[in-house]
Amino acid sequence: MMFRKSIALLFFCALACAAMILPEAKAQTKLPKMNYKERTLSNGMRVYSIEDHSSPTVAIQVWYHVGSKDDPEGRSGFAHLFEHIMFKSTKNMKSEMLDRLTEDVGGYNNAFTADDVTVYFEVVPSNYLETLLWAESDRLAALNIDDANFKSERDVVKEEFRQNYVAPPYGKLDLLVEQKSFTKHPYRRPGIGNIEELDASTIEDVRAFHANYYRPDNVTLVVAGDFDQKQFDAWVDKYLGRIPKPDKPMPRVNVKEPERTAERRFVDYGEHAPLPAVAITYLAPPQASDDAFALRVAESILGQGDSSRLYRSLVYDQQLAQGVEADVDLREDLSLFKLTAMLASDRKPEDAERALLAELKRMQDTPVAAPELEKAKNQIITSRLLARETNNGKALAVGEAAVLLGDASRVNSDIERIQAVTAADVQRIMKKYFSDTNRVVIHFLPESERHKGDNVTHGGMARESNGAGQGTTEGGTGK
Amino acid sequence: MNPLRRIFKQSAAFTLALVAVSITMTTDISLAQQEQQEQPPAPSAPRSVQFPKPVEKSLKNGLRVVVVERPGSSLVSAQVSIKQGGEVDPPQLAGLADMTATLLTRGTEKRTAPEIAEAIEALGGSLESAARWDVSLANVTIMNSRLEPAMEILADVVRRPTFKQEEIDRLRQQTQDELSVAMSQPGTLARFVASRVVFGDAPYGHPLAGTLESIERIKRDDIVRLHSTYYRPDNAILVIGGDIKAEDAFNIAERIFGDWAKPSTPAPAPSAETARELTAASKPRVVVVDMEHAGQAAVVLARSGLKRTDPEYFRGLVTNSVLGGGYSARLNQEIRIKRGLSYGASSALDVRRGIGPFLAATQTKNESGAIVASLLIDELGRLSSDAVADTELTPRKAALMGNFARNLETSDGLVAQVGSLALYGLSLDEINSYLNNVQAITASDVQKFAGARLDTKGANIIIVGNARMFVDDLRKRFPNVEVIPEKELDLNSATLRKSKVQG
Repeated sequence: MMFRKSIALLFFCALACAAMILPEAKAQTKLPKMNYKERTLSNGMRVYSIEDHSSPTVAIQVWYHVGSKDDPEGRSGFAHLFEHIMFKSTKNMKSEMLDRLTEDVGGYNNAFTADDVTVYFEVVPSNYLETLLWAESDRLAALNIDDANFKSERDVVKEEFRQNYVAPPYGKLDLLVEQKSFTKHPYRRPGIGNIEELDASTIEDVRAFHANYYRPDNVTLVVAGDFDQKQFDAWVDKYLGRIPKPDKPMPRVNVKEPERTAERRFVDYGEHAPLPAVAITYLAPPQASDDAFALRVAESILGQGDSSRLYRSLVYDQQLAQGVEADVDLREDLSLFKLTAMLASDRKPEDAERALLAELKRMQDTPVAAPELEKAKNQIITSRLLARETNNGKALAVGEAAVLLGDASRVNSDIERIQAVTAADVQRIMKKYFSDTNRVVIHFLPESERHKGDNVTHGGMARESNGAGQGTTEGGTGK
Repeated sequence: MNPLRRIFKQSAAFTLALVAVSITMTTDISLAQQEQQEQPPAPSAPRSVQFPKPVEKSLKNGLRVVVVERPGSSLVSAQVSIKQGGEVDPPQLAGLADMTATLLTRGTEKRTAPEIAEAIEALGGSLESAARWDVSLANVTIMNSRLEPAMEILADVVRRPTFKQEEIDRLRQQTQDELSVAMSQPGTLARFVASRVVFGDAPYGHPLAGTLESIERIKRDDIVRLHSTYYRPDNAILVIGGDIKAEDAFNIAERIFGDWAKPSTPAPAPSAETARELTAASKPRVVVVDMEHAGQAAVVLARSGLKRTDPEYFRGLVTNSVLGGGYSARLNQEIRIKRGLSYGASSALDVRRGIGPFLAATQTKNESGAIVASLLIDELGRLSSDAVADTELTPRKAALMGNFARNLETSDGLVAQVGSLALYGLSLDEINSYLNNVQAITASDVQKFAGARLDTKGANIIIVGNARMFVDDLRKRFPNVEVIPEKELDLNSATLRKSKVQG
């Protein structure tokens, strides 16, 4: 009982006594350094390699510096649709050949489209490295873009849209968060697109997209695992080095999202959402910004684990929410800090909103205490260790640093920047970015709460109001 | 870059793999393309795969301790398994085992729920506890420099939870809210319904987390009784795996769990109920749950499968791999790749202490509900009517072996695999014989197995979606369709319908 009391006391002090400095229990854990080699080919392709012989596998990742923000106007969902077509036939491979070369030999492959990049990756037994380098070079240089492939993948993407955004009760909210958080920047168009624009796309659109972005000087190759460096370099020259660089310029997004000048509020409805949800977003600086480190630490303190600020307040103490999330969604051009709460039953969205904002204000008013800061750093290190347990995870870490941060060495140095974040840094970024004017609020309600006589159009267009702060939107919400 | 913001080409559930197998590649290319055609370079000689060897010891109190060394990651996972899970839920108290396990981390004699979270998260670690079928688990993943304090917290939550009324009430509300959300997802709801259809009122029939009604009935006494009955050292297994020396791991286990007292009463035996053979349904059911606003139809084929200890286990694994064990398996080929009807279709043999379910599942637009149901059943049937060609069997086995090996690449994957072998009383060495066991399965094994153990006669169909859009087509093939409106669905009963008497 004595021990428990003193733990409680310590905990209380940690929250209330901001200036208290507690002795470090242990030395800071180091993140093991990743050793990699890098070079740039004459056609502009950049190549990174990380040797690791602990398991007889190799991860191969091809990063194309094009993402959903590059979707042509009126063709939202394009980059992602194109990613699907990359798995169809090429000059030298029939459709799904890549699966023959990966899954069939005990490996796997996949790809993802994000806002700023599209990444194709596979993990195979290490004796298949040359085979896969050849296959990647083939689909970069000689993809068949034909009508049959285009149409069948378009159907699959439409099913994906239904499965991930229409069928799930809160899928629509994910789309709304993007659509309402940005006014000018193409990040406002979710990467999955929508059925109308997918249906409107043509084979010529696909060919133009390919010609614009799928070129060696827009590619970073990252390989991690069990290989011989000299042999690897020779294969890269042979298969990837021979691909010519096109002469034409590459279109790049150059849209500045204006600063938010006033809070904006939206209400929308989910057809199968049983309970309300609240999402609040703030614009934040680009991924490569110096403020990103303190923002990551803040994200951890706010939302990582059951001892996080938001969980403790909204889920545990007040039982306003059944789940909460804080996500510093760092992106190349600008970032979006998102807070989401899934309401508990019989609780009002206004109350959850108030509680979320109260936690942000606490972090603005009072610097976080040393134990909380150390906890966040330990959580971040542990999550990086977990991510780097596999070859694919190692490649992802190097790729992200090289392509999105423009500096591969940050795969090792960033953690030191995180460890150097102080309570004052956290307080500073909280004040700077989490202001009333930088806020977008979305209340996402069960369909049953849509009132009669509302001027909400069908198809789920969200109502907007320019709220001068907190409180209910016009028409009233909740019970 | 936020992992949540990525849109994957295929659902992550498909991905897993590694191992060297030689393949013949057939290329089927038009004449116009044949000139200047390049062949992919052939692979070089494969490197052999070796997995760590688990070692074990039992403590004086009967706790079985298993350690698996795998250096290099700076991480360790530790897991306590109690040898019972949802199957011991009393008939009216579905969800009891899961609630009990979840409540472990919500307060002990030494620490409140917030203090437990604070303590483990201060170390950068995460502590999870939940029940599954056949087992209740508590596990922690942590930097190896912080292992001992993390293990002390793990032991605390397993041995001395207090089950405060306030925490029970909190969890009850949370669980009911989560269930409401789960029930509004066609895929999740279809799986709940499938369990009832296959198992009826037998121990595996109810939803593991309970139902809205059963959760309401659970009392503190029920939870305390379950914990004191099953959570004892001679009914538990501790697995520690990752970047740690075995000697150090055993020493920590002794220091932290050595004084966990063994009760004088005999240890509980695994539930007899689960061991009994399932009586075959007189006729398989075709059940449609009408969810008018469903954005998609979830289509599930379900029937009884195997026990984990079944001598034909590896035949089952390979047969499942051929049917629906990956992106290139038959179900995904037919449903997604050839016809564009889905984002992904797959199957799973869920082996348990008793006979577990076999499921094939996918989601599709409502209009395609009926055609997809037919495809699932037809593909299952084809496994026994047509022999599998070696050109298909070899890669399917490679995919299975790759999956397995990749699961072992992380500390928590390694611990989970070893924990499962220990739970079912299997040789821990099986990790190192798995690949050979899979390799040994032949096409004839697959065909015979499918015919004898997975035939379509025992297959039930469950569809959750907007019935209006597919039920007429469905009836053309399956005359015995039952349609249950969403509001009348009752997961507490094998009939699946709310009794009219209750209103």
